[in-house]
Amino acid sequence: MPKKKLHADPVLIQVLRYAMEQIADEMGHTLIRTARSTVIKEIKDISCAVFDRNGNTIAQAHHAPMLLTGFELGMRQLRAQFRDEDLSDGDVIVFNDPYNGGQHVMDLVTFAPVFHKNKLVGFVGSMAHHADLGGAAPGGTQGGLTEIYQEGLRLPMVKLYKKGQEDAELFGILNNNIRVPDKTLGDIRAQASANFVGARRLREIFERYTPIVVQTHTDALLDYSEKRIRAGLEKIPDGTYTGVDYVDDDGLTGKPIKLQVNIHKQGDHAVVDFDGTDEQVPGNVNCPLATVHAAVYYALIAVVDPHVAPNSGCYRPFQVNAREGLVVNPKLPRACGARTQTSQKITEAMLLALSQALPERVMAGSHGQITNCGFSGYHSANAHETGKRFVYIDIQGGGAGARFCRDGRDGQDSHLARFLNTPVEAVELEFPARVECYEFIPDTGGAGKYRGALGLRRDIRVLIDDMSFARYGDRQVYGAFGLFGGKEGAKGKFILNPDSPDERPLKSKGLDKLKKGDVVSLRLPGGGGYGAPSERDPQAVVRDVRDGKVSFAAAESEYGVVIDDETLSVDASAREGVARQRADASVDKVATRAARK
Amino acid sequence: MRIGIDVGGTFTDVVLIDDQRGKIHYTKTFTTPKNPAQGVLNGIEKILNIANASIADLDYMVHGHGTTIGTNALIERKGARTGLLTTRGFRDVLEIARVERPDEGLYDFLVDLPAPLVPRFLRAEVDERVDAHGSVVHPLDEDSVVRAVNYLKAQRVETIAVCLLFSFLNPAHEQRVKEICNEIYPEAPVSLSSSICPEFREFERTSTTVINAYLQPIVERYLRNLTAMLNEKYGAVQVRIMQASGGAISAEAAREHAVNIVNSGPAGGTVAGAFIGGLIGDKYVMTVDMGGTSFDIGLVIDGVPRISSEGKFEGYPVKIPAVDVHALGAGGGSIAWVDAGGALNVGPQSASSDPGPACYGVGGELPTVTDANLVLGRLNPDYFLGGEIKLYPERAHAAIEKHVAQPLGMSLEQAAYGIIRVVNANMVKGMAGSSIEKGFDPREFTLLAFGGAGALHACELAQEIGMKKVVVPLYPGAFSAFGLVTSDIRHDYVQTVAKSASALDLDALERAYKTMEAQARAALAEEKIAAEDIAIQWTADLRYAGQAYELNVPVVHNGRLTRKEIDATVARFHALHQKVYAYSSEKEGVDVINVRLTGIGQVPDVKLPKRKRAAQTTRAALKNKRRVYFAERGFVNVPVYERDLLKPGMTLPGPCMIEEIISSTVVIPGATAKLDGWGNIVITLGQTR
Repeated sequence: MPKKKLHADPVLIQVLRYAMEQIADEMGHTLIRTARSTVIKEIKDISCAVFDRNGNTIAQAHHAPMLLTGFELGMRQLRAQFRDEDLSDGDVIVFNDPYNGGQHVMDLVTFAPVFHKNKLVGFVGSMAHHADLGGAAPGGTQGGLTEIYQEGLRLPMVKLYKKGQEDAELFGILNNNIRVPDKTLGDIRAQASANFVGARRLREIFERYTPIVVQTHTDALLDYSEKRIRAGLEKIPDGTYTGVDYVDDDGLTGKPIKLQVNIHKQGDHAVVDFDGTDEQVPGNVNCPLATVHAAVYYALIAVVDPHVAPNSGCYRPFQVNAREGLVVNPKLPRACGARTQTSQKITEAMLLALSQALPERVMAGSHGQITNCGFSGYHSANAHETGKRFVYIDIQGGGAGARFCRDGRDGQDSHLARFLNTPVEAVELEFPARVECYEFIPDTGGAGKYRGALGLRRDIRVLIDDMSFARYGDRQVYGAFGLFGGKEGAKGKFILNPDSPDERPLKSKGLDKLKKGDVVSLRLPGGGGYGAPSERDPQAVVRDVRDGKVSFAAAESEYGVVIDDETLSVDASAREGVARQRADASVDKVATRAARK
Repeated sequence: MRIGIDVGGTFTDVVLIDDQRGKIHYTKTFTTPKNPAQGVLNGIEKILNIANASIADLDYMVHGHGTTIGTNALIERKGARTGLLTTRGFRDVLEIARVERPDEGLYDFLVDLPAPLVPRFLRAEVDERVDAHGSVVHPLDEDSVVRAVNYLKAQRVETIAVCLLFSFLNPAHEQRVKEICNEIYPEAPVSLSSSICPEFREFERTSTTVINAYLQPIVERYLRNLTAMLNEKYGAVQVRIMQASGGAISAEAAREHAVNIVNSGPAGGTVAGAFIGGLIGDKYVMTVDMGGTSFDIGLVIDGVPRISSEGKFEGYPVKIPAVDVHALGAGGGSIAWVDAGGALNVGPQSASSDPGPACYGVGGELPTVTDANLVLGRLNPDYFLGGEIKLYPERAHAAIEKHVAQPLGMSLEQAAYGIIRVVNANMVKGMAGSSIEKGFDPREFTLLAFGGAGALHACELAQEIGMKKVVVPLYPGAFSAFGLVTSDIRHDYVQTVAKSASALDLDALERAYKTMEAQARAALAEEKIAAEDIAIQWTADLRYAGQAYELNVPVVHNGRLTRKEIDATVARFHALHQKVYAYSSEKEGVDVINVRLTGIGQVPDVKLPKRKRAAQTTRAALKNKRRVYFAERGFVNVPVYERDLLKPGMTLPGPCMIEEIISSTVVIPGATAKLDGWGNIVITLGQTR
């Protein structure tokens, strides 16, 4: 006789949802508070989640969406590799293999099983970007690497802790292969400690409600999110929507890489394929599947139902088809450390495609890249940590796109990466570097009825000799697209020793040796505009000019608004005249990239 | 005689403690938003009449406020026109913030960080640079300061904030900038980051300093007006202002530190919680204040309100020591709704008092938590605010039926109780976050519930978390005002050190503490606190080398700092880290980031009259019986008692209801309520879980 199915109580679904979200938050809190590297403790490049026994994500903490949705494939791999009886209370499994559900080598994923009366009932997991995991370049940040073997230690799914005890052999291997073991091993222990805290709390929930009740209700929670996404998809007209964006280059060949997404929306589901996307490349911007899924899911959830409870149920109505061998599903041993340049563009292409169906739910193009700098060297003789190796990771984005009703918020991040910046004072207290400016760059936000957010400038002076500077960045050739007449955002660039006789451009992806006194100037790209610039409220142009965000010259050439530099008021005669029409005419020439394919 | 006045959004609560006669009085009056000082005067007049007292007997009054003075100015962007001076290259730090979009904006493109309080054109730069050791890299170019200040003067700013890099290590440049501001533009008050918030992380420090500058003229104007009105009516009155730290300062001292006194109302509740905890012998107390729109959670640890300096205020970081009150948007007015996926949600939208819950009958159509409580028999429709507001049960029924029961296919009671369970789950999440994330097991706490709606939910919240004891204090509607009266005077000082604990310059450290101590003693003396009533606490913020966040631990000393005291402090840090993060390591290096000093001026103890227990039958307090809904039992006909008629020692087994004008207490099945000698309702929960 079949077992009587327990009926889910809609109220208990919410009660358990809150309880599990609280567990994920608590894990994230523990990880950030106890970590040693700025990339975790200040930048917060982490994620934490709670899973059911089948590996479905039930609840997530509020961290980077890229890592959140990125747990899915890893969990699938874990369930395929470990049977229930292979796991014990107090185990922590670690992995980072991009070719087995991982992100990039720098992101260590850890999972801990949770038991109730000796039966496996669920999992908790944490993911964190580490300062260094060995490999050719400190921090794995160097552009232009060609094989995954150069990017750092690639771990299959192995037990980092067995029944609550560190695996001394594995820790020994890690210790011998990484540049800053005191920091990184501390960070790994912080990750484990977050898992232990989460496992303890999840176990309490099972003790309180029993596994059958919890599983019935978490199943229902997944169904609920799925239902909401399907309801949202129903409202979008059926059809195929295509969007294209480009990665500037792979750091080696100098050739642009085309990313094309085709969203086939039918009824209450959507299939996304990458037909038209370029093949995998020699450089390290290849994007493993876990990250591709994250980029696609993120864009769809944001546009379809941004306030749904984000869990595995949300992803059921979506299917992602990426042929093996494309840049969005590379084959071993392609390098993929700089995958974020590609994943950000996938999201951008998705939004461009969706703008055709839902113009008011999208955002114009954003900085669409992650500038990841790894400064490394040895503390000088008189410093606090004399002679010690350091790796200083600085992660920066740029300007976000404008929206149908509002400018891009200057300074605020966007999309997949949700990082914090590193305070200037935190940088200088810890590393031999001096930040000389951190500011907006005027005229870098794409013009439009609503303006794209400004690009940023951050200048870093090196205070020791023999500092290596590995980095990757993008949107230095292809700027952020504008929408519906809005203009492109300014492109980024990296400059060595600006405004000096030694000034020279630096490649967006590469490695250089710096000497004491050198200044690296990061110029981060701006966001795209939304709507025709001629439709912009002249008073908004005046405000931007007053704030030095838009120059007098750009106000006239881009917006056709002539501003009196004494009174800061609009010269009405000029405004009504030909100037604005001229501004519009120049907009017409800017084709959106949807048409460019 | 002492008076505490808490100016809230709708009501101004007043508590008078008559120390000589051992009596306590309480009243409420409407807040007068246009001129809040008027409401304060109305309240004083009312309470003096009730207490039959004269202003001549008043020792002092303590004044606190929730949203009226500072918060509204922030929300409505009605603060002073503020200029900001920064190190060259960093004027945009205030706007770039930490680049992180708010949590609610993870997937929502329209959610933004709040706009900076100082627009870009009012942010000017000066040429100077101090490095991470506090050494001057570029001396201050005074000409650049003169130019910048003249520019801000021409822009007619009313107040100036100054935040230079590493000023917390070396404030000389900031101090010189202030001198130049005072010479060129003496009309504009100057807030220095090195005096408001001398801690590292430039954005958070700038944000705090800017808020101080932004609100200072408003606070000053308000306090000047209040003092003048009081003087005119009553002659000289000693006015103290509550700070967010839970300690008061004189009105004169408050003018300089606007950021410390905004939003101080909620702190009063936790301070009062510590006081009640002290009376009844409970050192670990969680205070929950539930009103119409919000649910504030505070912790009392070892008899002292928990302080944190990582708060946010309307989305802006404020790094000052403040009673750690976690506010959730959940209250009686929170609206229940069913979303597209068929899930029941409560809040964050609130019906507030306008249009109000459906049962108010003043235009609200949507079901709220108050409506659910009414349907479940937990509110008396004829005794809400003592009968001042009539409730319409049929409107609550209709709203819940239409918007919750029908869409979910539930009965009316199931739907109403579902609303309670969802809002409770949200509050439980907040309560767990407020305690567990800070390293405390909530089950070891006594739950102290107040505010209009706190006692309706307290038993079920405690049961959900596994707490064993619930206390509903006397006058739950004016509890924060009561806390104001019991609060000590408090001055906080901080200095960043940022050195390894093994490489400290002990003499310099001792000097730093002694300098701060001298400042504290001077400030307290100015407030006429006798030397024997002054208590000084030395503490330090420590972390493992390489971490970014610190834990605050006491520094026990005999006025001298030697290796021994430092080692003991480090040992305390290891133990606390283990407790909070389930991890510690004596092998790792420990850094001392900040040294802190708190100067406390102890006010005379408030002696609440304690009545003898008299075993009596509860019949005199029994009003009637009513059908009230409980989990798993459904509707039960339970006795309803009038709180004012209860006598100490009376024991009321649950399930029952205890009503009073401002609040109703639900005593769930299995729990037992008892009235203690001070008039608190003390509920012991049964083993129902």
